[in-house]
Amino acid sequence: MKQEANVENKPKKTRKPLTFATTQKINGYVFLAPWIIGFLLFFMIPIINTVIYSFNKVEVGDTGGMAMEFVGTNNYFDLFNTEVSTQSQQFIRVFTDENSNVLLNTPLIVIFSLFCALLVNAKYKGRGVVRVIFFLPIVLGLTIVTDLITVSTGGDVTAVATTATEESGFLMSLFTRVGFLPESVISFIVGVISDIFGIVSKAGVQTLMYLAALQSINPSLYEVAKIEGCTTYETFWKITFPMVGNTTLFIFVYTLVDLFLASKMSQEIYAFAFQSNKIGVGSALSVCFLLNVLIALVILVLILTKVVKLDYGK
Amino acid sequence: MASKTKNKVKGPGFGAWLKEKWNDNSITDPLHRTRYLQNLVFKIFAVSLIIGMCFTILYPIIKLFPMVLNDVEDLGNPDIVWVPKTFSLVSFKAAIRLVYGNFSIILWSLLYAASIAVIQVFISAMAGYVLGRIKVPGGTLIFFLIIVTFVVPDQALLISQYLRFKNFDIFGIFTALTGGPIDLINKPVTLYLLSLFGFGLKQSMFIYLFRQFFMGLPKELEEAALIDGCGFYKTYFRIALPNATPTIMTVAILSFVWNYGDTYYTGYFYPEGPFAAVKLSQRFAASQSDTVVTAVQTWFDKPAASGFAFDAVKQAAVLIFLVPLLIVYFCVQRSLVENMEQSGLVG
Repeated sequence: MKQEANVENKPKKTRKPLTFATTQKINGYVFLAPWIIGFLLFFMIPIINTVIYSFNKVEVGDTGGMAMEFVGTNNYFDLFNTEVSTQSQQFIRVFTDENSNVLLNTPLIVIFSLFCALLVNAKYKGRGVVRVIFFLPIVLGLTIVTDLITVSTGGDVTAVATTATEESGFLMSLFTRVGFLPESVISFIVGVISDIFGIVSKAGVQTLMYLAALQSINPSLYEVAKIEGCTTYETFWKITFPMVGNTTLFIFVYTLVDLFLASKMSQEIYAFAFQSNKIGVGSALSVCFLLNVLIALVILVLILTKVVKLDYGK
Repeated sequence: MASKTKNKVKGPGFGAWLKEKWNDNSITDPLHRTRYLQNLVFKIFAVSLIIGMCFTILYPIIKLFPMVLNDVEDLGNPDIVWVPKTFSLVSFKAAIRLVYGNFSIILWSLLYAASIAVIQVFISAMAGYVLGRIKVPGGTLIFFLIIVTFVVPDQALLISQYLRFKNFDIFGIFTALTGGPIDLINKPVTLYLLSLFGFGLKQSMFIYLFRQFFMGLPKELEEAALIDGCGFYKTYFRIALPNATPTIMTVAILSFVWNYGDTYYTGYFYPEGPFAAVKLSQRFAASQSDTVVTAVQTWFDKPAASGFAFDAVKQAAVLIFLVPLLIVYFCVQRSLVENMEQSGLVG
């Protein structure tokens, strides 16, 4: 950058000063400099190193340096064939479990947060109080809080535990009584309902974003719809839903990444690398994890761009 | 049936209201009746839904109180669920003695979260401003890279970043100066370095928010400033930044809350630091259950304390941990929505 400045300085001495565009560019790069340095130091080099480690058997030497031995793709085969994760499951099992979990929960959380935002956005008495409560998950949803707030040892206080099972039993029997849904769908629904706090606690920021998006919709659109005789249902699908399209895409991406971050796979990386001291295998897992997230994202975005009308202008 | 339910909501002036409704065509007139009933059913449904959702969100918190206020020896007794037989603060005392000590750890955590939030806001705003407003060659590429860094999970880089900090060196400068790379693990500077160079907790998202905001900001203000003779920096600090207050607030709040509760960066890069979240997760890992129960039994002379005591102490500790966050939340929640609305995420 210094060189660039010097080059630009030469003509300044003789005839004309720096053009406006050039100073803007130079200053722009000055502002971006921290991020660019950070990108190289904390992102680019680590990502390349991770890929390198994943093809090597890495051992930390006595002096603190690292001894590497090239083993080809062995680490990857080890990861999926022989290695067993901390829960003594085959790793492929953890992989598929977590993926299906994330892919099922992402749309649930997004829909739920849109729903919450619609509820909070409507006009009624006591809306302020409801808002305070609905955004509480921003604070309560911190991983550390959700981890510790749930009762872990020895089951819940007995009475509460029994009501919980009774409740889901009641739901089960209700749904089977109604009797047009297959068993697997019912158990899925019941599972979602009994894990409602898991979804609620992850939907805080998303609800906030949706609410912001909803409030920025031009009210005259709704007026027109009302005059033209649209029902609430039609108004939602014709106005609200298309208008929050951009936000929906962003929230989908955010939620997916967030869920992957909290998934078991990310903890396995640490377990492999530092607890059982297999840096190579851990790196192979990191690379798989990374590819997994990226592929999931690409699929998601491809599907979403078909469903949601996006405003590419921005 | 319909009017009866409405009665509960309305309360005073019911007689007059009923009379009015009775004479009103919309009930007796079959044409309007369906619509009226539909509306009413929808309203009842919505109200119960909202109340139900509020309850769902608050339930874990509500359930905390009987647990932590109960006498530790009464826990697990199926006769005592919601109202404690004997109130006691043993759980809180144990939590304070086990984790918080003289509460300096909470203060340090708050200080850490606040300072990181300031750094993140400062750096993200700079990057966001350039990406959203200034045309620099390669700007689109950099924006694309920021999206990439946003979607790449931090944990995928954990090993390599950890080893990097273990033997920290920038292009061989430190080796030349001190004769070897330096170990930055377990030093606070690591965390500040990450935020300073734009790779703190969720920082890519913050940059994205700032970019979106600055893109939506009217250009005229800055143009006027430039014409009046402000330089690049003066324009930024005097015009652009003050106008970005909503986004600054949003980012600062989110950054503060997330950093206060973060166990990833703090736990891996500075595990021995004074961070309440890290200490909580270490102290109340499932394997520590016996230690905690024994501590409660010996310190407070409660020989009958069972595994439930672990939960009670744990939840008391979480409650104390949440207090500063809840205070901050209740102070800012009103402006949170308004700020988010103007913060440019919406596009």
